[in-house]
Amino acid sequence: MTSYLRLTDVSKIYGTVTALSKIDLTAEKGEFVTFLGPSGSGKTTTLMIVAGFEKATTGDVMIDGRSISAMAPHERNIGIVFQNYGLFPHKTARENVYFPLQMRGQAKAQGLRKAAEMLDLVGLKDLGDRYPKEMSGGQQQRVALARALVFEPSLLLLDEPLGALDKNLREQMQIEIKRIQRALGVTTVFVTHDQSEAMSMSDRIVVFDKGRIEQAATPLDIYHRPQTKFVAGFVGESNLVEATVTDAAAGKADAAELGQCDYKPDAALKNGQAVTLLIRPEHIKLSRQPLEGRKNVRIKVDTIVNYGDNALLMGHTEKRTLRCRVLGADIVIIKEGDECHLSWLPDAVVPIAG
Amino acid sequence: MNRLLITLGIIAVVFVVAPLVIVVPMSFSNARSLQFPPPGYWFGYYHAYFTDMRWLRPTWNSIIIAAGTTVLTMILVVPATFALVRHRFAGKSFADVMLLMPLAVPHIVMAVGYYSYLGMFGLVQTHLGVILAHTCLSVPIAFLVLSANLKGFDRTLERAAQSLGASPVRTFIHVTLPILKPGLIISALFAFIQSFDETVVAIFISGRNAETLPRKMFDSIRQEADPVIAVVSTLLFALVLAGIVLPPLLKSLRSRVTPAPAAQALSTAENQS
Amino acid sequence: MQATIAKLAERPNLWPWLLLTPLAIYLAVFFLVPLANVVFMSFTEPRLTLANYERVLTGALYQRVFVNTFATAALVTAVCLLVGYPLAFLMTRSSPRTAMLILTLVTMSFWTSFLVRTYAWMVLLGDSGPIIGFLKAIGIEQPPHLLFTRFSSTLAMVHILAPYMIMNIYSVMRKIDPVLIRSAQSLGARGAALFRHVYLPLTAPGIANGSVLVFVICLGFYVTPVLLGSPREQMIAGLIGTEIEEFLAFGRGSAMAIILLLITLVILTIYHRRFGLDKLWG
Repeated sequence: MTSYLRLTDVSKIYGTVTALSKIDLTAEKGEFVTFLGPSGSGKTTTLMIVAGFEKATTGDVMIDGRSISAMAPHERNIGIVFQNYGLFPHKTARENVYFPLQMRGQAKAQGLRKAAEMLDLVGLKDLGDRYPKEMSGGQQQRVALARALVFEPSLLLLDEPLGALDKNLREQMQIEIKRIQRALGVTTVFVTHDQSEAMSMSDRIVVFDKGRIEQAATPLDIYHRPQTKFVAGFVGESNLVEATVTDAAAGKADAAELGQCDYKPDAALKNGQAVTLLIRPEHIKLSRQPLEGRKNVRIKVDTIVNYGDNALLMGHTEKRTLRCRVLGADIVIIKEGDECHLSWLPDAVVPIAG
Repeated sequence: MNRLLITLGIIAVVFVVAPLVIVVPMSFSNARSLQFPPPGYWFGYYHAYFTDMRWLRPTWNSIIIAAGTTVLTMILVVPATFALVRHRFAGKSFADVMLLMPLAVPHIVMAVGYYSYLGMFGLVQTHLGVILAHTCLSVPIAFLVLSANLKGFDRTLERAAQSLGASPVRTFIHVTLPILKPGLIISALFAFIQSFDETVVAIFISGRNAETLPRKMFDSIRQEADPVIAVVSTLLFALVLAGIVLPPLLKSLRSRVTPAPAAQALSTAENQS
Repeated sequence: MQATIAKLAERPNLWPWLLLTPLAIYLAVFFLVPLANVVFMSFTEPRLTLANYERVLTGALYQRVFVNTFATAALVTAVCLLVGYPLAFLMTRSSPRTAMLILTLVTMSFWTSFLVRTYAWMVLLGDSGPIIGFLKAIGIEQPPHLLFTRFSSTLAMVHILAPYMIMNIYSVMRKIDPVLIRSAQSLGARGAALFRHVYLPLTAPGIANGSVLVFVICLGFYVTPVLLGSPREQMIAGLIGTEIEEFLAFGRGSAMAIILLLITLVILTIYHRRFGLDKLWG
C-alpha cells in the first residue's frame, strides 16, 4: 500500500543555492507529522512546495496516489495555517471561515451555518462577528485553524503557527490543535523549530538540516536513538564524545577525552569505526565517591544553574566539559568549585556512526 | 530658554496661519482694491463668482481635467506598481528611477517642452492636451502612494486565499482589491489634487479653450483687477479646511498605511514651483 | 513530469513587462520626448547653433538672474530652517494635543493652493494692507513699498515652503528614541553640548531632507516670484517664461531650462549618493 502523502526526490535550487536536496518522505492517512529544524533548514520550503507556492526544481509530490505537482495552489484542496495566520482583515471571523466554501460555490446560508459550526468546534462560538483585529492572538489562531479545516481539506499544513503566542497560550493551543486534529482525523504536517512542541504533538518527526532530511522517526526514537550527530545535538540536551570502537561485540569504545566507554552493543558497528557517543545529561548521576557498576568520571564543578525542581550542572575533567541534570534536592550539598564524580550506565550511551 | 522657544514657536505658528485666514474677510470685502481691513462687507463677489462664466468655465475645466488625469494616471500606474513591487526583473531599478523622474524636473522645464511639442499634434489649448501633460506629473505621486501601500500588503493573505480555493483572479477580486482599496483611493485623490492645483504647465498650454482655475487665478492676480480672486481663494481654503476638519474619514483611510510626510510634501511641493 | 516542472521554472516571466508597457509608452511619448524636445530646441532655435548657451551663460542679465536665483533659494532655505527647526522641536516637546494642533495648522497651510497663499501675501504686503497701515499708524509717513520687491517674494516663498521643512524635521525628531537623550545626559552631556553632539546629528537627516527639498523647489519656482517679485530681479523660471511668452525666444528659453534641469539633477544626484532619493520622496 502506498502512503497518503509522498514526496519523491524533491529538490529546490535558487540559482546556485540548493535550498532542498533530494527529499523523500511519506505520511500515512491521519498521521501528525512534524518538520523540525533550525531556520534555513528547508522545512518551510518543503511545506511551501507541498502547498504549491514554491515550485520544486526536481521531484514530485503525490497525495493519495495522484501527483499534485502540476496543480495551482487553489486546486490542491490543502488547508494551511500561516505563521501570522493570514486572516483577511476586511472580513469577520465567520466570513473568513466561510471564504473557502464561497470559493467552492456553496450557498451562502448553508456556508455561513457550516462556518459557525466550525467556529464552535474551535471554541469561538460567540465571536463570529468580530473582525480579526478585535481578537486576541489565540483567538485569531483558532479562526485560522477553523478556516483551514472547514472545507475538509485532504491535508492540513501548519507553518509555525504557535510562534507568536506566549508560553502558556502556546501549550494550551498545542493541546487544542491535537484535539481538533484527532477529532477530524486529518493528515497534518506541522512545521516548527521548537523541539518540545515537536515532541509533544507529533506521531512522527522529520528532522531537517541544510536542505536534507537527517532522520524521520517517532519522537521517542528521535530522542533516544538519534541516527546522526546533528539530531543528537539538536534534539534535547546532550554530551557528545568522539570515540573509536575497540570491541564491537561487547560494546566497547575508546574515547580520547574520557578513556574507555561501554555502550549498548550495536550490530551495525565494526571494530575500529569512528563513532560519536551520546550521553543525555539526565542519565548522568552525581556523587561524591565513584559508584559501582557504572562508568565514573572525576570532575570539578564550574557552574550550577538552579531551576528549582532540577538543576543543570556543568563541570570539567582534564580534557573536556560535561553537563548533567540532577534533581533539585541532590544539588544542595554541592557547590561550585567542588570536586565530585559523574557516572552512567552503559545503556545510557548511544553510539552514532560517523 | 523655554520661554524664548515658546515665543519663537508662537511667532512661527502665526506666520504659518495668518496669511491663510486673511483671505476669508477679503472675500466679503466691498472694496475693489486690496484694502485691508476692508472698508465694508457684502456678498457681491460670491454672487459674481457663481454667475460669471469667466470663472465658472475654468472651474469646470479644472474638474474635468483633474478627473481625466486621475483616470488615466490610475490606468497606467496600478499595473505598473504591481509589476515593480511584486516582481524582480532586469531593469527594475531603472524603471523605478524613470517613474520618479518627473518629480525631479522643474515644472517650468516641462512647460517649455509641452508648449511646442503638444502644438505639433494640435493638442495645445485642449482638455486632452492638459490631461496628457498633467498625467506625467501625477504618475510619480500616485505611484509613491500606491507602492507604499502595496509593499505593506501582506502577501500571506493572497496565499491563504489560494490555499482556500480561490483562483488568482478571484483572489485579486475578493482579497487584494478590498484590502488595497484605501490605498487606491488616496492614490487617486493625490493624482486629482496634483492636477487640480497644477499651475505652471497649465499657464503655458491650457490657453483660452481649456483654461484651468489656477491659470485663471494667476492671470487675475497678475492683473490685480478682479476681487473675485478672494472668493475663489476662500472657497479653496474652505475645501482644505473641510478635508482637515473631517479627518476621521481621512484617518480611517490612511490608518492602514502612512505615506511618509515627505511623499505628501513633494506631491504638492512640485506643483507649487 | 520533472521535465515539465523544470521547464515551467525556467520560463522567463513576461508579466512585469506586460504590466509596465502602457506606462512605459506613455512616459516615452509624453515625458522623454518633450524633454528631448527642449534639448533639441536649445540647439536648433532659431537655427543649428551653440549661441543660445553662449548667450545664456555669458550674458550679464542672465548671469545676474542665475546668481539671484541661487541667492534667493539659499536665503529661503535658511529662513525656512530658522522657522522650522524651533517649531518642530517645540512640537516634540509639547503635549500630544498641542503637537497635533500645530501639525494640523501646518498641514492646512501645506494643502492650501499656493496661488491662494501668494494672493494672501499680496493683501498683507499691499499698499493699503495691514502692515503698511500699521506703519502709518505708528507715525511713519512714507512707508517703503513692500510688494513687488525681493522681500515680498522671498517672504511668500518662505511661507509656502516652510511646511515641507517643518514636516521633514518633525518626522525625524519624533522618531528619536528618548533613551538616547537620557543616556547622553547620564553620560554628562548638557545644554549646548547635548544639542551639538547628540541632538543635532540625530536630526541632521531631517534638516538635509527639508533643505534639499526647499532649495530645489525654490530654484525652479515660477509663480510666486513672477507675481510678487520685482520685475527687475527675476528668477530663472520667470525669465524662461518671459523669453518664451514675450520674446518667443524658444532657443534661449530652452537653453536656460536645460541648465536649470541639469543643476537640479546634479543636486538631487549628489543627495541620492549620500542619503538615497527614496528617503526624500518618502
